[in-house]
Amino acid sequence: MAELTLDNVTKVFTEDDGNEIVAVDDVSVDIADGEFLVLVGPSGCGKSTTLRMIAGLETVTSGEITLDGDRINEKQPADRDIAMVFQSYALYPHMTVRENMSFGLEESTDMPDDEITTHVEETAEMMGIGDLLSRKPADLSGGQQQRVALGRAIVRDPAAFLMDEPLSNLDAKLRATMRTELQRLQAELGVATVYVTHDQTEAMTMGDRIAILDDGVLQQVGTPLECYHTPNNQFVAGFIGEPSMNFFEMTVEDGQLVGEGFEYELTPDQREAVADADRVTLGIRPEDIEVGVDGAGSHGYDVFVDVVEPRGDENTVHLTFDRGVEEPETFTATISGLRHIQAGEPVVATFPPESIHLFDAATGVALHNRSLETTEVTEQVP
Amino acid sequence: MSLDTSTDEETWMGTGYPLRRVVLYITLVAMAVFYLIPIETGVVTALTDPGTYSGSYPYLPPLEPLLSDTGTFSLQPFENAFGLLGQGLVNSLILVVPATILSGLLGSMAAYGLTTIDWRGQIAIYILFVAGIFIPYQAVLVPLTQFWYNVVPLRTAFQPMTVVPFVQAYHWKLVALIVTHTAYGLPICTLLFRAHYKKLSDEMIEAARLDGASIYRIYRRIILPLSVPMFAVVFIYQFTQIWNDLLFALTIIQFGDASVVTQELVGLGVSQSGTNFPLRMAGALVAALPTLLVYVLFGEKFAKGVAA
Repeated sequence: MAELTLDNVTKVFTEDDGNEIVAVDDVSVDIADGEFLVLVGPSGCGKSTTLRMIAGLETVTSGEITLDGDRINEKQPADRDIAMVFQSYALYPHMTVRENMSFGLEESTDMPDDEITTHVEETAEMMGIGDLLSRKPADLSGGQQQRVALGRAIVRDPAAFLMDEPLSNLDAKLRATMRTELQRLQAELGVATVYVTHDQTEAMTMGDRIAILDDGVLQQVGTPLECYHTPNNQFVAGFIGEPSMNFFEMTVEDGQLVGEGFEYELTPDQREAVADADRVTLGIRPEDIEVGVDGAGSHGYDVFVDVVEPRGDENTVHLTFDRGVEEPETFTATISGLRHIQAGEPVVATFPPESIHLFDAATGVALHNRSLETTEVTEQVP
Repeated sequence: MSLDTSTDEETWMGTGYPLRRVVLYITLVAMAVFYLIPIETGVVTALTDPGTYSGSYPYLPPLEPLLSDTGTFSLQPFENAFGLLGQGLVNSLILVVPATILSGLLGSMAAYGLTTIDWRGQIAIYILFVAGIFIPYQAVLVPLTQFWYNVVPLRTAFQPMTVVPFVQAYHWKLVALIVTHTAYGLPICTLLFRAHYKKLSDEMIEAARLDGASIYRIYRRIILPLSVPMFAVVFIYQFTQIWNDLLFALTIIQFGDASVVTQELVGLGVSQSGTNFPLRMAGALVAALPTLLVYVLFGEKFAKGVAA
């Protein structure tokens, strides 16, 4: 059990032709003892490289990684007291489950055989794979292999867990179950965990905190709700949340925003936040858009329904300002699943001023985030 | 797709014997006959009287007295062949077993070092290995003789070893041949193992590293057990190569007590009164027996290794 710290960690790969590629750029993040940190980002963002640097499978170009206060940059993977769960599970195919789980203890400790046996059996019981100990990986289902891979990491009782997309090979239903189980397990063990995923749902639901990476650069570290409601920039805003936040390119003219198809009146606060920027991006989450039949005005617009995607609990509605165009530009709104709405129907979409985000169009930096007071109010009202 | 399946099934149901299956079996039987005829011919010829063998087709059973001089059927020719080739068979075994195991083991280790472990310059070393495959035997014959007879004083160095029971002074030639065959077989073995190791999951090796296993322990506990099918391939290949080799044996052993079975076979049944072909045939079968045995023993694993 220990605290894991990444301090200005950078990884530069040099290709054969001398080209340098910065995979991870100056990432600093602290993972407290017992914390579950999710490292999330699109593929190729450097999240796996970061994890592999912590594991010792990649060298660190610059910066420092410390575990429990000790610098571990130069330590061999075996000496780091870290266990890792791989996406492919990486089980040893010629060994039984028991041998897979005892391998690490046999190789890295002087533990006597009978103690190893007890440890392995206890962990296997905890993971619900006690009856599979004499089987080989090829005879196990994906979910069982996943449990063995987790068990193999847990049995070592490491100072930190690293998980590289461990659930991505499971089917959707099992993934949801394992998500909950992993969280419960991690809380029970109280070991600092770094969990890499490209799936923002996993990030939102599992992490104590999430760290969002893009192109090797850390975009934001915060609790899932912080990242959801107060994103640092347009990338975070668009990456977190499903369906994604809607973005509209706008120009600022006399304290109001003018875009293709509509104009948006800003509140005094928002005007101040925009200051002298002349191009901004307006962002609004699909669930914040109110879809009604009338009320067109400064924040309500006449739009048309392009496509309706029913999900049961809610409908995702694709709306457009331009009617009759072959492939119109659309934005999405979510409405109650019980409401009937037809493609082609004219509706009024309202963007409530308290729910909008404003980003600098050039840099993507957040200028203004939605007001959180309203969310607190709605949460309190029964 | 589904249409294809249904037509297949119809053929099956309609005729009782699907045409495709019949053709397959006919082809298989034809191939079996084709491959077995030489062996059958050998067996039949070996049992024919040397005086009458030229009068009949070699693959038909002998009509005349089955055994020379006696007129009765017996396995005498095989016993004779065994007796005459005995020394050569023993020498060949002394040569082939260590040479095969060594080239397999060293090839596997070299491939592990060149594939799974990452270090600077490994590609250059690997290219040297590959280049080794293309050195023709003929090009090294004279240097090899020079090397073992004049450069390396193996003969004198081996002398003290003769105190060990069963070790003879002339065995130094077999040691030289073992080293030569191991060295010559190493590139192709390395190539085969490398192809196998490239397919092993990197993550699995990394997991073993994180589990605390050293480079040697990873080889011993992960790589080696997973190489078994490839070892079968390499063993069969190397065993056959070395067992059947005549060129290196002629170059290094030249003649004498250390002669291997292929060398002995050359002179078997040849005398001034003519060539005893039945005896030669029996000898050839006896000499081929160990390679057949290896195929039988490792065949299943071999198929697995080739398929992998």
